[in-house]
Amino acid sequence: MNAMLSRVADSLYWMSRYLERADHVARQLDVHLTIVTEQAVDAARRRRRRLITCLVDEKEHAAAESSDYELADLLTFDEDNPSSIVNCIAAARENARQVREQINSQMWEQINQMHLTVRSQPMQSLWNGQPHSFYHWINQEVYRFQGITDSRITRDQGWHFIQIGRYLERASETADSLNVDFRELYASGLEIDAIDQQTYLDWVGLLRGCAAYEAYSKVYAANVQPRHIVEFLLLNPNFPYSVHFGINRIQSSLQVVGEETETPKSARVYRLGGRLRAMLDYAQVDEIMESGLGSYLLNIQNQCGQIHQAIYETYIAYSIEDKLKAA
Amino acid sequence: MNAVGRVTATDDVRFAAYELDDAYDEMFTPEGVPRPHYSSLFDRLLDLSPAELEMRQQTADLSFLHQGVTFTVYSDARGTERIFPYDLLPRIITAGEWETVERGLIQRITALNLFLHDIYHKGQILADRVVPFDLVYSSKHYRREMCGLDTPHGVYVAVTGTDLIRLTDGRFAVLEDNLRVPSGASYMLANRQVMKRIFPGLFSLYGVRPLEFYGQALQNTLAALSPASPDETTIVLLSPGVYNSAYFEHTFLARQMGIPLVEGRDLAVHDNTVYMRTTAGLRRVDVIYRRIDDDFIDPLIFRKDSMLGVAGLFNAYRAGNVTLANAVGTGVADDKAVYAYVPAIIRYYLGEEPILPNIETYQCADPKERGYVLANLDKLVVKAVGESGGYGMLVGPHSTVEERETFRSLIEANPRNYIAQPTINLSRAPCFLDGRVEARHVDLRPYILYGKRVTILPGGLTRVALRRGSLVVNSSQGGGSKDTWVLNW
Amino acid sequence: MHYSVRHTTRFQYTAPISESVTEVRMQPRSTEYQQCSLFRLQVRPQARLFVYTDAQQNTVHHFTQPGVHQQLVIVAESEVLVYPRPLLPERLPNDAWVQIDDSNAAGAHYEMLIPSEVTAPTDRLAQLAKELNVARRGDPLSLLIELNHMLHRAIAYDAGSTRVDSPIDEALHHRRGVCQDYTHIMLALVRYYLHIPCRYVSGYLFHSRTDTSADGASHAWLDVWLPTLGWVGFDPTNDMLVGERHIEVAVGRDYTDVPPTRGIYKGNAGSELAVHVRVRMLQGAVNEDDADATDGDQTPVYRSTAQQLHARYAETLAAIQMQQQQQQ
Repeated sequence: MNAMLSRVADSLYWMSRYLERADHVARQLDVHLTIVTEQAVDAARRRRRRLITCLVDEKEHAAAESSDYELADLLTFDEDNPSSIVNCIAAARENARQVREQINSQMWEQINQMHLTVRSQPMQSLWNGQPHSFYHWINQEVYRFQGITDSRITRDQGWHFIQIGRYLERASETADSLNVDFRELYASGLEIDAIDQQTYLDWVGLLRGCAAYEAYSKVYAANVQPRHIVEFLLLNPNFPYSVHFGINRIQSSLQVVGEETETPKSARVYRLGGRLRAMLDYAQVDEIMESGLGSYLLNIQNQCGQIHQAIYETYIAYSIEDKLKAA
Repeated sequence: MNAVGRVTATDDVRFAAYELDDAYDEMFTPEGVPRPHYSSLFDRLLDLSPAELEMRQQTADLSFLHQGVTFTVYSDARGTERIFPYDLLPRIITAGEWETVERGLIQRITALNLFLHDIYHKGQILADRVVPFDLVYSSKHYRREMCGLDTPHGVYVAVTGTDLIRLTDGRFAVLEDNLRVPSGASYMLANRQVMKRIFPGLFSLYGVRPLEFYGQALQNTLAALSPASPDETTIVLLSPGVYNSAYFEHTFLARQMGIPLVEGRDLAVHDNTVYMRTTAGLRRVDVIYRRIDDDFIDPLIFRKDSMLGVAGLFNAYRAGNVTLANAVGTGVADDKAVYAYVPAIIRYYLGEEPILPNIETYQCADPKERGYVLANLDKLVVKAVGESGGYGMLVGPHSTVEERETFRSLIEANPRNYIAQPTINLSRAPCFLDGRVEARHVDLRPYILYGKRVTILPGGLTRVALRRGSLVVNSSQGGGSKDTWVLNW
Repeated sequence: MHYSVRHTTRFQYTAPISESVTEVRMQPRSTEYQQCSLFRLQVRPQARLFVYTDAQQNTVHHFTQPGVHQQLVIVAESEVLVYPRPLLPERLPNDAWVQIDDSNAAGAHYEMLIPSEVTAPTDRLAQLAKELNVARRGDPLSLLIELNHMLHRAIAYDAGSTRVDSPIDEALHHRRGVCQDYTHIMLALVRYYLHIPCRYVSGYLFHSRTDTSADGASHAWLDVWLPTLGWVGFDPTNDMLVGERHIEVAVGRDYTDVPPTRGIYKGNAGSELAVHVRVRMLQGAVNEDDADATDGDQTPVYRSTAQQLHARYAETLAAIQMQQQQQQ
């Protein structure tokens, strides 16, 4: 049996989740600020509102709605907003710091450097003048961290908790974007012919926001079709930002963790992971569209939440009474 | 004080500023020629060009940084870490000198363990008026909860880091017994690793006794104190956490021993058994090498607001289901006022004369001695009895009038809390500073492990007061360290 | 006298908690003057009980309850035989003060002589000492009896005016308090102004109608060490010497050494404490005018929010950080 301290697993998991969130927010803002420069005022405002729904806490909505600048500032530098990029990076670093002896020094140096740099004056000026370069820098730094992680770390339980954190965050974010954008864009109902210039930008924005535009184009050429987008972002098993890909990775990591810790096969955490994976393995895009994409996506998000819960109950914040009984 | 002497064995400009005076010099005789066991080092230093020496210093610094041998600076909001200043030149001790140190330390730690057992049981030494009872009972580190508790093999202090200094006549004397949670062993080991890299030839030529077995020896010591059988024993290192200045040492030692590094929140106590929370469920813990103070161990018994310990731990300990190393309440024996009685303690329990002398100590609680201390504040070193790490201390000859007045009122307000000692001219050792070799004051902290038997690491942490003339070697006060070689000859 | 005692304690938490660890000091001592013939402790949620004897020879029970719960109930039942104490002499011989000083110098009962945390001297204590002329004079025994009486008159009994482990200044300020305050104040006076060792005693009183202290609660008084007599009990709350109606449970330097319960739990919840004590006489003559042994269940329930000893783990990062740095 292989055990690691629950606290350590928890810190690795959150370190990874927070960085993934910083990456996602940076990409979304980058795409948004680029697209709205080409969009009509109305479409741009609708787009802003969708972004707010996805990324901004309810009580901050009013502040964010006033302008794209306010929105971006709130999500980038605002110290009071827990999901601002600087706070996500700070939280990731704090978690890394708690387990410094478990990760390698390059990982620590990378995350520490990010944390210190993102708050520095030059980066703030860069954001003011060239937001694209700023967000691009964030994405690059996160990739660098993930690259160091994947190339340097032993494939032990710790690495698997890092994977689970990354892909749970990613799958939820992709599902969320897809859900919010579809609800509005698809309501306008449209097959490819009817997609106007404005809406086209929005669909492309959805793909870009999920780091999927180039990969999508390789599969479907430049044929931007809502159905294809759903198929790609939700069901493609080979694209790293798709929900299906993420769930596969989560399930295989859960498998390894379960074996190492000798978790009973009947544990809820297995069943949840397995169920969601099976659901996506056998899904057909047409059926999903027919029976309602919104509820399907909501279901996925709920299940991601349940998996998170189950991981906590099984490995991290379990009741010691239960474990004493089991022993 | 005598006129300042010079190194006569060379006219190399790098030794031009090397002072020789009353203080015992580790490298040179009073005549300015190297002592026999330093002569190879001396020759090597003369051979090396300044640039070569500089390069070795840089290699050493980098190596510390890469190993993460650092300590955290609290005042810095970014939590940056600094390397512990390291001096290139080894401090060398001969086999003969070491033999005395070793016997002296074994004698001392044996007596101190007997003392702790006695005061927490019958208190015979107090009844016999060898040590004043009020000194013990009023000590900030006396733990009445320990009364009547038995520790495995009667061992209270499993890990000691005694501070030794060398007197002007060359004898080693004990300055402080650190019996609570002595730190610094990781620096000792890291210094050695680096030294072997930068002076490999010299190192192998000298015949230096190895230190590398410290992790293994510490683990064996802890396992020997376990309530469980050795091969089924789970040992953990309990750290206050990442914000503690010694956190590097905690991670280092945990890695050396291959044991989990835990915090209080990783532990839980149920039915007098201590568990740690792992992803594979609860795992029983048998020995806790704890690096947190007594007060914080268990909020049920000690400080109620402690978040670093775990509730119920002390009762599990009392029941003998888990071993704490060091035991709770050892600080009473390193109270600086009790220190003055250690020679008497050795005679009382062992019927032997102390091998290592104490430094003369004035008790401010005693009206006559207090009078002397207050009249001579500019000559004495005054220390708060329950402190360590160079805090709460006045070095008379280097103090200002205001500082002395502050201490005067502190002493008058709470005399029991202060002792004074003559200002000791610590021995000096050569240090490589800005391209030159200069003499700086040093002390020595050897590490003593006490499990089934006493093990003393050949060497220890030599701490250096890097500022010219300074007598304070603590890292918190601008001290550094150097590798310590105990020779086979 | 033969008594049965039933001491019920109920902690009600404002939210579910778990991993609670509790220590209980409720088993009456067996001493020269009393014999505890039966003791039974029940706790809910169920837990395995452990026991040890502390440095003052008090019996301590402790247990852990790992599961989620919102209420903790502790019922301690005991039967105790209390023997009459020998009559005290009129006064102690003239050299009694010398004997006390000799004994102090030899280190006997040292911990009961130095001020404890709760009984440390304050300006208000000095004021009271002056008013009551607390200084060595006459013989120690008569002086203590006089002090016991004067203190009883100087402080008004007022249930609920202070917390159990309040520092003495709170009670001294308003000159109101409960049995713990009377006891702590007298301990402080005797230790600091008379230099006689004395200790806090927690226990129960078999109540008579004329007693000042509240029925239905635990009680507290002090033992003073006197030459030739040993520990002599004084009950300043009720202006009497300790006798056959006092049942001794635990002794310590002050209340904080011997609270009936002490606990730690996990969970973000406050707690409310309800205590009920019932003391009944099992046999032996009792004058109905002196004592009331009936209807114990209808006596008032003593309530307090004794959160100070049921601390919760507040996992505030800042606080953890501070403590981590404080370690050497």
